[in-house]
Amino acid sequence: MSVDHISKTYPVPFLRLKKALKRKFKPPVEAVRDVSFEVREGEIFGLIGPNGAGKTTLTKMIATLIQPTEGNVSVKGFDSVRDDTAVRRNVGLAGAEERSFYWRLNVEQNLLFFARLHGLSGDQATSRITDLLQMLQLEDSARKRFAELSTGNKQRLSVARAMLADPPVLLLDEPTRSLDPLAAARMRATIKSLAQDEAKRVTVFLTSHNLAEVEELCDRVAIISKGEIKALDAPRNLRATHSDNEKVSITFTVDDAGKIEAALREAFSAHPFTLGRSDVSDAWTLAFSRKTNDQTLDTVLRVLHTTACLVKGVECERATLLEVLEHYEQTEQENEKQEENPGK
Amino acid sequence: MNPLLFLRRVWAFVVRDWRLELSYRMQFFLRVMSILILVTTFFFVSKIFVGFADPRFTQWRDPLAAWLTGMAMLNYFMTGFSSLANAIRQEQVQGTLESVLMTPISVPTVIVASSAWDFVQATLFSSLYLVFGWLFFNVHYQGNYLLALAFLLLTTVVLSCLGILSASFAMVFKRGDPFGIFLGTGSALFSGVFFPTQLIRDYAGNTVASISRVLPATYGLDGIRRVLIEGQGLSQVRQPLISLLVFLAVLLPLSLWVFNRAVRRAKREGSLIQY
Repeated sequence: MSVDHISKTYPVPFLRLKKALKRKFKPPVEAVRDVSFEVREGEIFGLIGPNGAGKTTLTKMIATLIQPTEGNVSVKGFDSVRDDTAVRRNVGLAGAEERSFYWRLNVEQNLLFFARLHGLSGDQATSRITDLLQMLQLEDSARKRFAELSTGNKQRLSVARAMLADPPVLLLDEPTRSLDPLAAARMRATIKSLAQDEAKRVTVFLTSHNLAEVEELCDRVAIISKGEIKALDAPRNLRATHSDNEKVSITFTVDDAGKIEAALREAFSAHPFTLGRSDVSDAWTLAFSRKTNDQTLDTVLRVLHTTACLVKGVECERATLLEVLEHYEQTEQENEKQEENPGK
Repeated sequence: MNPLLFLRRVWAFVVRDWRLELSYRMQFFLRVMSILILVTTFFFVSKIFVGFADPRFTQWRDPLAAWLTGMAMLNYFMTGFSSLANAIRQEQVQGTLESVLMTPISVPTVIVASSAWDFVQATLFSSLYLVFGWLFFNVHYQGNYLLALAFLLLTTVVLSCLGILSASFAMVFKRGDPFGIFLGTGSALFSGVFFPTQLIRDYAGNTVASISRVLPATYGLDGIRRVLIEGQGLSQVRQPLISLLVFLAVLLPLSLWVFNRAVRRAKREGSLIQY
């Protein structure tokens, strides 16, 4: 799937008429600006960004539901505007919109309707629906009306519908929203297995506000803000690019903690450390930050060793995607302020 | 287009709408009752005019037969030009239009399939007008039923083209569809549903009477009454038949083109699910 220099500006309805009548109108909204990227077969690609960043518009453009103002989207070689029917044959969309089912029909009836629109015969549709209901733990709700489903089950049904025609590309807009932690974990496992299945190699394009989920699932992540892609890379690289610092926490036991403080002060004159009691009984925790791959950790461990400490555990925590996202948002806000007050 | 796939999709819409209808059973029962009440009312009103019909109005010698054919056809025609717009609007309100358009379904299929159930219902309810008239009030029809059916289908297709234009309007402007307002009330007044169109010329002059000449429903109703009430054959109904074919030749390509443009515009504006 490839997105090539795509932009979307929502036009002002009846602009010429409003101008002729000298009526006030809001300026056109530029939702997506010159976005380009490619998603490989079998890849799980994440799109994160704050509300109103352009995630839904971009997803809908890939799904052929919104036409781009400029640029092209191509899915399996088909252009989303010229060959929109072919694109829709290759794409399944699970949106975050709850109002996209028939509330008075039950789960099976809803799925059967959409399966027939996808061209599945009666037998094919029935067998596929049975498989999907089982896969997404919806068997018990099969005869329930959509209106009676919990929010989480509605979300799962949306994913089931997206997978009805077994499309090679899945667009998932917050797929674990409203799911309980167990169900969310199962959903993530399902998504992962679809992409890893050698026979299917499903490409997944996923938007989410759950950054931990994005880190866990996605091979690559794009950060979108104000309609522009600010960064695109593997989550690990994004974190590393943003900050080469990591937080280190060492848990240990020792008879005299005072000795440690003195030894550390001797080894590091200026480096700040935090020493405190650990949650583990009789243990202490030493926390500090360091540049990735510098000598600090090694020196600290030597100090602990020479002061007869028993090291119980070492944890290193690099910058999270949330911090990366916050960084881009702050930069964006600073740029805006700069543009508003160029002299300052 | 694969005809089997097309039929499968149309059938999916019919089954969906049938199931939705079943979830509102009371509504169906009330509608049948209201038709029976209306037919009964027409029966009593028609008794006032027995023997008074102007000899010029050959189709109106039995006013009850004329009204019942008029009502049956009006019901069908209204379905023709309002069902698609209603279906689109309902999908917009429900929020399901995007989900439907997300499937690999073509625009002509959406048009036919969305209205299919309404036509099934219209066939049933229109038949009820005629059946109740025949069963309870001794109204008799004659002539070539196949020719009448041909008129019915042709007029419905022509009015469906206007319905497609109306749906295009709903797609872009969401509300305030002028086709529905003008054609709905206009057809009832000017097409000869309740009285002969010649009376308009007598009382309102040629200019106002010309309105009825630009409404396809006028030719449809005239043709069907000529066949069912006067017993005329194909050679005698050529004039309304040709008029309807001319309407079809102009409106069918125009309406499909406009609908395609409306869908594209809604996609450009990102307003498919807005209403």
